[in-house]
Amino acid sequence: MPPIFKKIVFFIKKTLGIKDPEDNPQKPMSGLSSRGIIIFEHTSDVIRSETLLKAAGLDVRVKGPPPEIRTGCDLVIEFPLILELEIREILGRNRIKLMKIAPMQDHLLEPVSLFQVKDFGDYLMVRAANMKITVEKSTRWIVNVSGGGCPDVPYLSEQLIGKNLLETSEPRAMGHTLCGYALQLAYEEMKRQWPS
Amino acid sequence: MTESIVDARGLSCPQPVLLSLSLIKKQKTGELTVIVDSQVSKENVLRAAQSEGWNLSKAEESRTECRLFLKK
Repeated sequence: MPPIFKKIVFFIKKTLGIKDPEDNPQKPMSGLSSRGIIIFEHTSDVIRSETLLKAAGLDVRVKGPPPEIRTGCDLVIEFPLILELEIREILGRNRIKLMKIAPMQDHLLEPVSLFQVKDFGDYLMVRAANMKITVEKSTRWIVNVSGGGCPDVPYLSEQLIGKNLLETSEPRAMGHTLCGYALQLAYEEMKRQWPS
Repeated sequence: MTESIVDARGLSCPQPVLLSLSLIKKQKTGELTVIVDSQVSKENVLRAAQSEGWNLSKAEESRTECRLFLKK
């Protein structure tokens, strides 16, 4: 894996609260919970699936995979096991290929917040993992999108700069990489931070 | 015609963009030069300037910096 992607994966893992097994080798395995995880091959499938499942009103969350899972991409979707059939139907209808559905071990780590908010006077910047978004306070215009190292970052910047934060499409609708996902987190945090 | 310079060398994003926008908003029209020292800053400044209706009239690139001549 190229160093830039290792760095991105590291930041995303930090953002989502993912730890490697060596971070906590003594922690015992505990019982199964009533929730499961869906493992995907590609990050873009995670992003699309999250959008579709949330739009269907389902209680799903994107998280880091447990340390023992070594297949798939660096993100998984956590869901109530009772919804498995419905989720399979939605994903199948949208031709999203999933690698595996597994019961979730309840020692899975909760996501943590890792946002940096910086006030530049007339502008506000939010950084999530490796991505930054900056908005002009008076107009709510997005003036800068930077960071990353993924191929879709220039496209995302092109689509977002000069647009109103509250009116533009969400980055998740346009991005297909970990950077796109990190930018979505920054975008959501920016909307939360915005003074009403 | 007014001409102004933003020297954003050594600054990381979004600062080159914010400095450029600050001058763009003061100046409204005319010419201005932005000096940056990374490709990322160059692209970000250009995107921000273009979203404000400014165009790149010329770019001079050396091994260590890039001078962007913007016009509106």
